[in-house]
Amino acid sequence: MRLTPRQRQLRARGTPAEKTAMRLLVALGEIYGAERLIRITSAHVAGASYKIIGDPGLEFIEDFARTAKVRVLTTVNPIGMDLDRWQEQGIPEAFAAKQKRIAHAYLAMGVRPSFTCTPYIAGNRPKFGDHIAWAESSAACFANSVLGARTNREGGPSALAAAVVGATPNHGLHQDENRRATHLVDVEHAVRGTGFSLLGLLVGREVGGGIPYFRGIAGTESDLKWLSASLASTGECAMFHVERLTPEWRGARPRGLPHIRVTDANLESVRREFTTGEKADIIGLGSPQLSADELRGIAVLMDKWRPRVPVYVFASREARDSAQEAAATIERHGGHVFVDTCLEVTLLEHVSKTVATPSGKGAVYLPTLCGQRVVLEDIEKLFQRYA
Amino acid sequence: MKLRGRAVSPGHATGSALVSGKPLSFLGGVSLDTGVISDPGSDVLGESVAGRVLAFPHGKGSTVGSYVLYGLVKRGIGPVGIVNAHAEGIVAAGAILAGVPLVDSIDVSVLMKGDIVTVDGDRGSIALPRVSETRVATAFVRNRGRILVLRRARTAPTFPGLWSGVSGVIERNERPIRRARTEVREETGIRNIRFRATGPIVYVRHEHSVIAVSPILFDAPSRRVELNWENEEVRWVTPSDLARLETVPRLREAFDAVSRAR
Repeated sequence: MRLTPRQRQLRARGTPAEKTAMRLLVALGEIYGAERLIRITSAHVAGASYKIIGDPGLEFIEDFARTAKVRVLTTVNPIGMDLDRWQEQGIPEAFAAKQKRIAHAYLAMGVRPSFTCTPYIAGNRPKFGDHIAWAESSAACFANSVLGARTNREGGPSALAAAVVGATPNHGLHQDENRRATHLVDVEHAVRGTGFSLLGLLVGREVGGGIPYFRGIAGTESDLKWLSASLASTGECAMFHVERLTPEWRGARPRGLPHIRVTDANLESVRREFTTGEKADIIGLGSPQLSADELRGIAVLMDKWRPRVPVYVFASREARDSAQEAAATIERHGGHVFVDTCLEVTLLEHVSKTVATPSGKGAVYLPTLCGQRVVLEDIEKLFQRYA
Repeated sequence: MKLRGRAVSPGHATGSALVSGKPLSFLGGVSLDTGVISDPGSDVLGESVAGRVLAFPHGKGSTVGSYVLYGLVKRGIGPVGIVNAHAEGIVAAGAILAGVPLVDSIDVSVLMKGDIVTVDGDRGSIALPRVSETRVATAFVRNRGRILVLRRARTAPTFPGLWSGVSGVIERNERPIRRARTEVREETGIRNIRFRATGPIVYVRHEHSVIAVSPILFDAPSRRVELNWENEEVRWVTPSDLARLETVPRLREAFDAVSRAR
């Protein structure tokens, strides 16, 4: 791989963390056939919840942070608890202590203190054509598809290395020719609400690491967030196009590609397949974290239905702070609005065996990461059912 | 013997080999308390990776596996070197973070548990000082879509009674194609064969040595064969028949390697 003089210097005479970061980027670049590193404008790092990365992750982040500083705007994924309200969450002291050390190490490297899986609405919003290095599969998929920024589906270490070097191997979705569609998806019935999650679960499994081109859907940025998260959960999908909606649909060339037809009945059978429980003991909303608008929507539903089971809502600090009234309404009706953390990476196992959620990503990971059962259902129906 | 691969993670280490034929996930697959393989589906379940050169085809599973590898090494119970068929991001990242040399593009079936292996992560090679290498040329002689196979004599010192291409040990400083031509003439009597292609080396582990097979493809003008004492039966078969015959190890792979070559 060809390196610039500055990159060569970093590899030879950088701090221990900088040398490790350079080695990692060069090795990954060679594995994936990149000829050089390309400069990035932002990074988003995953691997921050103590529940997920455990002691070895904590040790690595702390060791690395001693000699590492990020060179570009860098955000980090949710941690395992709300930093202000972890006691209320029932998080054990020992967990909290280790979790704080991880958070502290990230901040010491210069990472922004917003622990979020939706960086694009929390102060890290790349522009069209920007090269970025993002871990968090749902955010990477959103950034490529909806914003037209360019990132591969990075792992925690590779995104962190890119943040420290300010560059990432130039291959895959950084290059025009790899951003074209690989599958044509005709959606034959109108999709709304949790339908976007179901569509993502279904299509992610069909396309694997490919790029689906959707016809017949229209939605808000929030709808596309749910689609991104689900697509990236059942497949390695890191990008999609929506005809007449997403910024690169014109260059996607869907003609002659493998064709997938999706009907209401297909989506309903996906919903049933991912519904592994019967009676939920909580409603869990997040995965990815909710936006300010979504918080306002939940507040309206809480006012109307007042569910019998506890409602746990996860949002970024930014979203919660710009929808404080809504958050207050939710909590007045007995709900909990937590920030810094999210549905699967926090500890809810001690309060719930079965979670009702409209999140397709949640339906994939709650059973494996948390050992919980799932009732996957549209949000309004959930509130009605548990009112 | 020495095998060339690709350097992924720098450094130099020697250890006793632990070899798995299956993809490995460090998260959930290796215990952080003991360094013992804990994945019930693994073919090396219960073995310790500590201090060993760990060979497996490639990584799988969660990206947290990179940190688990780091944690194992930090606790002094990690592998000293890693050999992969093809390294992917999780194991590559873990090896680099932990400072464990990693070489990939190596056919791990060449290695056996207990082999002393030196991993050179700077040059991208591994060395097996106690394993000898025998270089063999195997000619695949083709006539109108069929391939010549010979059944080795029951008195043959290696692989008696098994079906094979036309094979012979390459002598020092000899070119594989020349050896292959000589063997075809001696073992089959076929003249006027035409060279078509030579394929990448296929390795066969046989006890304390490794047989490095250079596959070479020829076209023959006829199917008339005169056997000598080294073989006792002859057949002209289709490539798919190769899988059904009782052959010397990896004959089909050697044929596939040369048929793909240009």
